[in-house]
Amino acid sequence: MITVPHPRAEGGGLSGLLLVALPVVLLVWLVLWPVLQAFVGTLYFPGKGFSAASYSYFFTDAYSLRNLWLTLWVTALTSVLRVVVAMPIAIYLRFRSGSVAALVQSLALFPLFVPSVLVAYAFIRVLGPNGIVDTILVALHLPKLSTPYLTPAGPIIGLVWEGLPLTLLLLLSGLGRVSTASVEAARDLGARGWTIFSRIILPRIQSSIIVALSFNVLGLFSAFTLPYLLGPASPEMMGPYMQRTFSDNADPLNATTQAVITFAFCAAFGLVYVRAIARGRKGPA
Amino acid sequence: MNRREFLMVSTAAGLAASTRFAAAATRLDMYTASDANISDFFGNVIKPAFEAANAGIELNVVIARPAAALDAVAQRALAALSAKADPQLDFIEQYEPMLPAGGLEAGLWTDFSKAGLKNYGTLNKLAIQTPYGLPYRGSQVLLAYDTTKLPKDKVPKTFADLVAWIKANPGQFIYNRPDKGGSGFNFVNRVVHEVSGRDPGKFKVDNFNQATADDVLGKAWAALGDLAPSLYQSGAYTAGNTASLQLLAQGAVTMVPAWSDQALQAIAKGVLPETTGLVQLSDLALCGAFSQAVIPTNAAHLDASLKLADFLLLPETQAVIIEKLGGFPAVDWSNLPQALHDKYADVIPSSIPTFPQGDWTKAVQDGWYRNVAPNISRT
Repeated sequence: MITVPHPRAEGGGLSGLLLVALPVVLLVWLVLWPVLQAFVGTLYFPGKGFSAASYSYFFTDAYSLRNLWLTLWVTALTSVLRVVVAMPIAIYLRFRSGSVAALVQSLALFPLFVPSVLVAYAFIRVLGPNGIVDTILVALHLPKLSTPYLTPAGPIIGLVWEGLPLTLLLLLSGLGRVSTASVEAARDLGARGWTIFSRIILPRIQSSIIVALSFNVLGLFSAFTLPYLLGPASPEMMGPYMQRTFSDNADPLNATTQAVITFAFCAAFGLVYVRAIARGRKGPA
Repeated sequence: MNRREFLMVSTAAGLAASTRFAAAATRLDMYTASDANISDFFGNVIKPAFEAANAGIELNVVIARPAAALDAVAQRALAALSAKADPQLDFIEQYEPMLPAGGLEAGLWTDFSKAGLKNYGTLNKLAIQTPYGLPYRGSQVLLAYDTTKLPKDKVPKTFADLVAWIKANPGQFIYNRPDKGGSGFNFVNRVVHEVSGRDPGKFKVDNFNQATADDVLGKAWAALGDLAPSLYQSGAYTAGNTASLQLLAQGAVTMVPAWSDQALQAIAKGVLPETTGLVQLSDLALCGAFSQAVIPTNAAHLDASLKLADFLLLPETQAVIIEKLGGFPAVDWSNLPQALHDKYADVIPSSIPTFPQGDWTKAVQDGWYRNVAPNISRT
């Protein structure tokens, strides 16, 4: 057996390391170091020693726990909804081309270019009390809309809309791995829509879905603008809660504790993401 | 023109220009950390009017946001005072004369009662907190309502009437989260005042203690919790002053607490309809405040600064503050045109209570989140 020599084996490693050195240093300096500092700052108090009081306060305070719980389920529900909504659009765009598909794509990617504040005010104008939907319903002599504005459903609808483009792009990149030939072959053998999706498409884009979910979780966990403008006053999502604790209550210790806890949850999902990427590299999942 | 002639002419022109610069207007450095509507108001309305009335003075509007930036500027002025140097600061549009620490004792701020202002005597006595701050505009929280749904003669005038009205008209009233805007905050404060004997003087910056707070605020939470089911969506709270006005404008609610300047400005711009009514409670008003301008005694252009101070108190300027800015006049209403007086009769304050910053504010805001906001069944 003839082994092919790897031309990059010698010396290539060093220049590769040098290439990533700057980003890694920046990551350590600007992300990991402050996180570590924050973490230590919530546990060690110079002159007083170690104390986990702020953590035990957070995990015994019913109000804080309610906020954390709300954040968790809003994040979970919104991430799943984003994938569920984006999936049919992604499949449509993967297997169709032409001007209609281009229009659908640009419409689906449109939220990418709209700032959250505008999303919030557009939402209030459309789905809010006496908004456009309400006006149309009344004009058609239909019952008035029970508006999602200022209820937990408000931020969820807004966040799904806002996060749709990124989810769509991630799913589209995964669908690129599904060959048209395999779908056509399955169709020739008599497979119908759901079978093709579950047996051919889904296994190939599993890691894309995991990546999309973990990306969404990272963004949603600390979402601020939409939960703040569209949601109820209480319970609060962690974003508004942290901001309020830090600036309105002038309580940096508890705000940092909340941030560290939020970071821990995000880091867990970051780990899921890294593993999905690593698995994807080894071969098609 | 040959080259030599060109050089001579251009040198002469340059000299003429430089002498013009040398004799340029006195540049009055005015600082502001207020919101964009205020800095715009100074740049677009006050500056041209003041410069037209005072030839040779140029008003330089410096925007120093956030407020912490002003603290640095004031510190610099205090340092310049002891060093007998130019503070490079002539006027601050709104600043707390008690700051920076030691400034007042060192004689940093001008005493307006002794500064010889022509119009000082016209000031509303309610507005003057200290002679070192010149109140020139105010705003107060009041109730804005839809006169097409609630006629002017039926509008609640006392707190008890308001509570009765809110309960009789469920879903028609909303206030914003107290930490997200003064209108909701001061509505909550009005409830705190109500349950503690309608005496705003009981709450001071330095008299916070937990036992009193637990007692008084506990009663306030009970009163607010009692109101909650009758509010919009059985207890929803908007995310800020503007969001409340938006619900009023969309006809979703009939009444909201609102800052007078924001409400008047919204009516003037057509954001709120002409049919919007404004009312202040007569048993005890909702809280408000006046912006206090300060002038350092060591300002390089002290005379010009005092002219600006006098200019702001002119009836014409005060009328513009009402009409363009939607603010309250700082001068007594008797100095203003009768027509203006009649138009804004409903919002003219007879008292302007305040609520202290610091521990009381924190206790009210965080306590509200923990006790009032979640205490409802949102089905």
